[in-house]
Amino acid sequence: MANNKSYPDVVFIGQPNCGKSTLFNAVAGLKAVTSNFPGTTVKHTHSKVNVEGRILNIIDLPGLYSLNPSDEAEKVALSHLFVEKPDLIINVLDASILGRSLEMTLELIELEYPMIVALNMTDLAEKKGINIDAEKMEKILKVPVISTIASHGRGLKELMKAAIKSLDEKRSPVTQEWSRDVEEAVLDVEKSIPEDFYIVANKRFTAIKAIEIEKRFFMRMLAEISIPFRNAVQRARDKLEERHNAPAYEVIEAERHHLALKIFEITSKVTRGKSIGWQERVDDVIMHPFLGYVILLGVFIGFFFIIIRVAGPLEELLLGPLSSIREYLSATLGTGILFYLVDGLFQGVGGGIAIVLPYFIPLLFLMSLLEDLGYLARVGFLMDVFMHKMGLHGKSVSPFILGFGCNVPAILSTRILESRRDKIMTSLLIPFIPCSARTTIILALVAFYLGPFWALGFYLFNMLLVGLLGKILSLFFKTHSPGLILEIPSLKIPSLMNIWRKIYFQLKSFVQFAWPILIAGSIVLGLMQFFHLDASLNIVLAPLVEGALGLPRDLGVTLIFGFLRKELSLIMMLQALGTDYQSLMTIISRQQLIVFTVFISFFIPCLSTVAMLWKELGRKWAFISMGLNTSVAILLSLLVRLVI
Amino acid sequence: MISLISAPRNKQLKIMGVSGGHGVRRRLLSLGLHKNDIIELDSHGIFGGAVLIKDLSSDTSVALGRGVASKIMVEIVGK
Repeated sequence: MANNKSYPDVVFIGQPNCGKSTLFNAVAGLKAVTSNFPGTTVKHTHSKVNVEGRILNIIDLPGLYSLNPSDEAEKVALSHLFVEKPDLIINVLDASILGRSLEMTLELIELEYPMIVALNMTDLAEKKGINIDAEKMEKILKVPVISTIASHGRGLKELMKAAIKSLDEKRSPVTQEWSRDVEEAVLDVEKSIPEDFYIVANKRFTAIKAIEIEKRFFMRMLAEISIPFRNAVQRARDKLEERHNAPAYEVIEAERHHLALKIFEITSKVTRGKSIGWQERVDDVIMHPFLGYVILLGVFIGFFFIIIRVAGPLEELLLGPLSSIREYLSATLGTGILFYLVDGLFQGVGGGIAIVLPYFIPLLFLMSLLEDLGYLARVGFLMDVFMHKMGLHGKSVSPFILGFGCNVPAILSTRILESRRDKIMTSLLIPFIPCSARTTIILALVAFYLGPFWALGFYLFNMLLVGLLGKILSLFFKTHSPGLILEIPSLKIPSLMNIWRKIYFQLKSFVQFAWPILIAGSIVLGLMQFFHLDASLNIVLAPLVEGALGLPRDLGVTLIFGFLRKELSLIMMLQALGTDYQSLMTIISRQQLIVFTVFISFFIPCLSTVAMLWKELGRKWAFISMGLNTSVAILLSLLVRLVI
Repeated sequence: MISLISAPRNKQLKIMGVSGGHGVRRRLLSLGLHKNDIIELDSHGIFGGAVLIKDLSSDTSVALGRGVASKIMVEIVGK
């Protein structure tokens, strides 16, 4: 174990939806983001905490169903577990589905790292009529087992106390024994591991993984290293397969499964039969083959109108004072460089407050609400059939919906998809989802000037466009999507604390990352206007802006700034046209307004999105994405000019 | 033995086996769907969409795409 590190590493690991992030948050304070959708923690979160005078480096890893990764988020967790070798594992279990959760616990014990078990959601288990004897479990597993209810903060102190104790004792857990023939097969492989072979955790674990890995290249790689070792692995597999008439990995999996069930039976008393709770009654309705879709459409439209109802009045309330301050500024500062500087600064700061925040906060709130409730996973189920039509499956729904908030985390979350094909397709489509910045533009321009139904129409058109593009893109990919396998977590009443935490994080990153760009952009634009640089840029862009799009030439420069962040275009549009929000329509026509909105919505994704695409998929796909978006934006704008 | 998509709703079904590649088989295993588990088909999406099943043995609900569901062979319990 790593003794050279200054603080011990304590990792939180568990299956998706076991309350791991909630537990982590409760220990760490405002750090990780939780949700009720399988696989939201796609990268790990670190935090240093002080427990009784000891500083621990606690790490929240993405949820894992087993130690055999099937998507990228799981690979992140595993590579951390195998390479960094934590000093202590806190395995979080969902007590209400103990049988399944224990399978991974047994697999984690095989690692023989010091470990403790947090038996979480014991309240939910009790409601289901399952009473678990933690002490008995501790005796069988030979690792400390602590009951917790993370959402109420119960058991936290005991858990962290046990963590400190385990860190001091550095006791390795003992692996449970399997059937004799399986043990023999494992031992056979273990003995033939070459001296210089890379050992993951310990020799036994390495041998088990060698038998379990079903990849062809792996056997070829083993043959390169040592022929006797490869042969031993093959021999073990053949023996198991012949005897059990199933693939070797299934035989090993079955060993863990049976042990887990046995432990479950010994330690738990199921007192009453399965009672139908409110969750199941609600599920019958929201997952109904017909009603489910009516409700989904209702939720979508309701979502939209709530945001307009809240954001519209808020925005007007804020805009009034802002425009009078601006008038006052222009009256006192005259027309010198100082005015352009101060005005730019003021537009940037004001734009953030008055245009972005009124839309951003309600949107974030509603999104987190649906996510924590568990509705997003259900939308994945309902939408699977439509996603298939565009060559994807229901799991892509979650990144898409996240995209309505911000495209950047949405692209990051495509890591939950199993195949690279799906990941690329979803990431190319996400920039066409109107994020909150673009929603701001659509609502502020289209809904404000033309009415809410125009905006709703714009949204529906946008959805159709994503579908159509998906269909077209899928023609370019030869492989098929692997199909939907998605856990539907039980519905949970969202906690306001968790929702607030999510909003806080998003807002913080907006204030730290986007707002400064917004302000800097506004000031640069102000200076450009003072030196008449914007005019020359506008002349360069005139063939596109005036010729193709039929917009006032002055808007050219705002498109460039839209690349920095989309809502900049809106703020700068007013600045560039030298008008205020109330009197915009006296300067441009309805057609121009729609063309501008369409173009801004669909052309190059913003700088941060491109950066994320580059990071996740590489340069090639980032450029393809920019090209795709820009061509679609130009085509659609031309179409709008023809139709409207 | 019938495939899961042609199975009746709200009847107890026993998983007899999964055809298909090891990727799908492993994913199903890790989500708690094992051979011999008793499951229930809860819902069908419209237009040949996904199916929703509940594994009574491990007490988890899982949504499966049509293609995946067609690879799972089941038997009606008590028949």
